[in-house]
Amino acid sequence: MYWPVRLASILAAVGGCFLLDALARGVDDYARRLIVLAGIWVILSVSLNLINGITGQFSIGHAAFWQVGAYTAGYLSVTFHGKWGIDGLPWMILMMALGALMAAVAGLIVGLPSLRLRGDYLAIVTLGFGEIIRIVVQNQKPLGEAYGMNVQPKFQTVWLVWLMAIVCIAVCRNLLRTAHGLPFLAVREDEVAAGAMGVNVTQVKVTAFLIGSAFAGVAGALLAHYEGFISPQMFKMEQSFIILTMVVLGGTGSITGATIAAVALFYLPERLRDAPPVTGAALLGGLIGTIVAVVLVKRTVDRFHGPKIGAATRYIGSVVAGIVLSLALGAGFGMIPKLASQSFEAEKLRMVIFAGVLIILMLIRPQGILGTNEFSLDWVKSLLRKRKAVEA
Amino acid sequence: MSLLQLEGATIRFGGLVAVNNVSFSVEKGDLFGLIGPNGAGKTTCFNLITGVYKPTSGSIKFRGSELSGTPPNKVAQLGIARTFQNIRLFQSLTVLENVVVAAYLRHRVALPSALLYLPSAIAETERLKAEAMRLLEVLDLDRRAQVRSADLPYGMQRRLEIARAMATKPELLLLDEPAAGMNPQESDDLLLTVRQIRENFAMTVLLIEHDMRFVMNLCEKIVVLDHGIEIAQGPPETIRNHPKVIEAYLGEAV
Ligand SMILES: Nc1ncnc2c1ncn2[C@@H]1O[C@H](COP(=O)(O)OP(=O)(O)O)[C@@H](O)[C@H]1O
Ligand SMILES: [Mg+2]
Repeated sequence: MYWPVRLASILAAVGGCFLLDALARGVDDYARRLIVLAGIWVILSVSLNLINGITGQFSIGHAAFWQVGAYTAGYLSVTFHGKWGIDGLPWMILMMALGALMAAVAGLIVGLPSLRLRGDYLAIVTLGFGEIIRIVVQNQKPLGEAYGMNVQPKFQTVWLVWLMAIVCIAVCRNLLRTAHGLPFLAVREDEVAAGAMGVNVTQVKVTAFLIGSAFAGVAGALLAHYEGFISPQMFKMEQSFIILTMVVLGGTGSITGATIAAVALFYLPERLRDAPPVTGAALLGGLIGTIVAVVLVKRTVDRFHGPKIGAATRYIGSVVAGIVLSLALGAGFGMIPKLASQSFEAEKLRMVIFAGVLIILMLIRPQGILGTNEFSLDWVKSLLRKRKAVEA
Repeated sequence: MSLLQLEGATIRFGGLVAVNNVSFSVEKGDLFGLIGPNGAGKTTCFNLITGVYKPTSGSIKFRGSELSGTPPNKVAQLGIARTFQNIRLFQSLTVLENVVVAAYLRHRVALPSALLYLPSAIAETERLKAEAMRLLEVLDLDRRAQVRSADLPYGMQRRLEIARAMATKPELLLLDEPAAGMNPQESDDLLLTVRQIRENFAMTVLLIEHDMRFVMNLCEKIVVLDHGIEIAQGPPETIRNHPKVIEAYLGEAV
């Protein structure tokens, strides 16, 4: 039964990607671009999850590997495309492979300090490394300096991006489905104990960095050939933080969580572009309403130990109370001319919202939305079983 | 040739000589006790043997070859496994997974096969899980296999530490205060288990224990440390009546 199941799932994945591609032809360019970028963010988030969530190495410069992949593909395309006698998909595959390779080399360079550094110190090194790469690129003439570079040929397909996202998810999931994933988790849990049990901690960490950064490199090559243009601005520190937020929000270590959070955190702020500007009154009202809702939810988490249904009612009640309070306060503050006249563009509040979401999460559910759970039939079954047990 | 031989093993932490010129030999099949008051340097001895620290001077030989400078994972591969005094389980992993991590050091299928989820990797995973399950049975933890290890009661966590160390299939098993914090009943059960392990698995055991009753009942040879210095060595009867040992344990019933 192994091969039939395996082949069927591979066919389903490829078929699904082409179906998505076909559907995406029906929507406008802007919407199609969102679908592609969402796939790229999924690759970034899931690949950082391997380093950060699964192996527990606090790397926060993931955008650097993305950039290395993008610039490798961009530079090689500009320089060599048309000279090696390949084009189209084969060229794209070559660019992805080389982008992955270069990013993996960068990952190795960053992975090496992780052998000695832990926690915050590693975070600082990865962050610094990310900035170094960006600034070095910014000063290279052949790479277009701060302006950036045009990338030819463009390769704009939805299916390839999402197929790569699925490959990235599958690789991580396969790792965790076999015994080979356990040393990675063991390193996250306790390096000393892992070493004492024969786990080659060095090798595990470097492998995590290699695979994680290689996939970020693939995401870079895909981005470069989709946009047809890359610049250092696209890989700022802010982007690394967004990827990190996706991993943390989804539940550190959960591949499902990283995937869902990537789509949600990419898509929701995009909606803000169309949103009307908010007034100071609404902002202040919303802030206070949110704080109240968070406090109420937190009280439920900390003190309420009744059945799940009762808890759910309380959560919903808290959120509704927060929204009502926000609206009421917003209207109330609207009476104050100074607050009513001030306005903020919704899009500019993106990072504020990200920060807010993270703070709320740390307060209410520090393990992330999904914790270390993965979506699977077994998981759903066990949830249902628990619920029955509580009701009984 | 002794299985494990310490010769003048010494380690200095700044001004403190935590282990000072300690020598003893563990023979194959021994059930060997390492005792001494708190802070005597017992755990540090384990850390020296397992490669967590490198001795400042002296030598540590395993099956005749020098160990010092060998990293912990290599020491485990050579056949020395340990438990930790302050339990160090992989907390968010299940009981079974904790043991599989240790059994993994005998894996034969390379990582790429696992990333591709090839049949060989699946079969190996099943094989390691089955091996781990058998050890859980020995330590009476099999019914808790799918529980998160952090959620186990304390006594069981201690036993899981032993199951995990055994999963590396060591020739020499180092147990650091395995009965610490256990009630007398649990401690007696453990005593039987350790004896059983040694017989059924032909393992050599080097054991640190604070509970004198436990050590005197279990071990055939004992080394006593105090302030990093080896003060006595011999069978339990000799140790029990040794004046220096009585002095070191002043006030405690020996
Ligand atoms: N890494 C270290 N750095 C400094 N001092 C240490 C270190 N490890 C152990 N020590 C000291 O060495 C002494 C022996 O400790 P230890 O071996 O844990 O004693 P015990 O016999 O109770 O297991 C203690 O005084 C301890 O504080
Ligand atoms: Mg100790």
